[in-house]
Amino acid sequence: MLHPDKSKPVFIIIPAYNEEKMIRDVLKGLIPLGCQLIVVDDGSATPLQPLLFDLPVTVLRHAINLGQGAALQTGFEYALSKQAGYIVTFDADGQHLPADIEKLLIPLTNGESEIALGSRFLSAGSNIPSGRKRLLRIARLVNYFFTGLLLSDAHNGIRAMTADAAAKIQLRQAGMAHATEIVAAIRKKRLRYKEVPVNIHYSSYSKAKGQSAWGSFRIFFDILLNKIFK
Amino acid sequence: MNGIQVLLISGVVVIFTYYVSRFRNALIDLAALVIFAGLGIFFILFPDYTNVVAKKLGVGRGADLLFYSCILFFLFIILKLFARLKRLEDKITELVRQHAIKNASGNQKDQAAD
Repeated sequence: MLHPDKSKPVFIIIPAYNEEKMIRDVLKGLIPLGCQLIVVDDGSATPLQPLLFDLPVTVLRHAINLGQGAALQTGFEYALSKQAGYIVTFDADGQHLPADIEKLLIPLTNGESEIALGSRFLSAGSNIPSGRKRLLRIARLVNYFFTGLLLSDAHNGIRAMTADAAAKIQLRQAGMAHATEIVAAIRKKRLRYKEVPVNIHYSSYSKAKGQSAWGSFRIFFDILLNKIFK
Repeated sequence: MNGIQVLLISGVVVIFTYYVSRFRNALIDLAALVIFAGLGIFFILFPDYTNVVAKKLGVGRGADLLFYSCILFFLFIILKLFARLKRLEDKITELVRQHAIKNASGNQKDQAAD
């Protein structure tokens, strides 16, 4: 059991789009934590629910593909409707380690912060490919430019937050720009945040599923357009 | 009246009747439409007046003035369409989200219940 306080259940939200190869392994790693597992199937070509019917998870399926930001927001709203105490976001491609979730929850449970962001640059163990490192360094500056918060890791999918913080963060960016949107919300709503070192497991699979340099241009323009069209 | 004038005026009339036929109780829209159509027909019949207006604004020819204002106008339309698309996307997102939450499936025990 990860968190003994029954009145504040931990909901782990796993947005998944065409992740049928990895999703079972990812979920099997999470089940021992004893949290509520919410898979948001973002309109995958093969519905994920039949692959997961024997696992203790809840599957929410978008009828059409909307993007990761929309999937996270769906997960948030579902978790909040089920009286979640804490909400964790976790990628479905197997790049995060279940053990890191506990580290993210510590600053929340002891009241130090309302949201904890995983950072791969604060931990010594991560073997980040150099191209990725460069891209993330630029992303970090773009994030700073738009949000005013200079974080060590701009686009990391593993985070934990209190239910109150999740209720304040309204993700309107359907695509991948939601990572910047979360940071912007931290600043706007004055959420107390903390960066926690986490490890990223770069497999050839997760690298192929991750953001390309072209993808980051898309993100940049998504943020820009959203600034113009509120 | 020469050939091009007949073509252009019938174009304006067709577009005007099309808009009026699906016109929905916004009087300001109707007024703008009448003014635009009227101006259009006037300048088609008396193209020399575009030169007068252009000279006043410091543009050489009436045709150039028309060209520049068209660019502005179309940019404005694109922005309007973009905003509308975004609103539409937001609505679809909300619809798909509510559907997904309503049809949650799985065999997980509800922890909050106890």
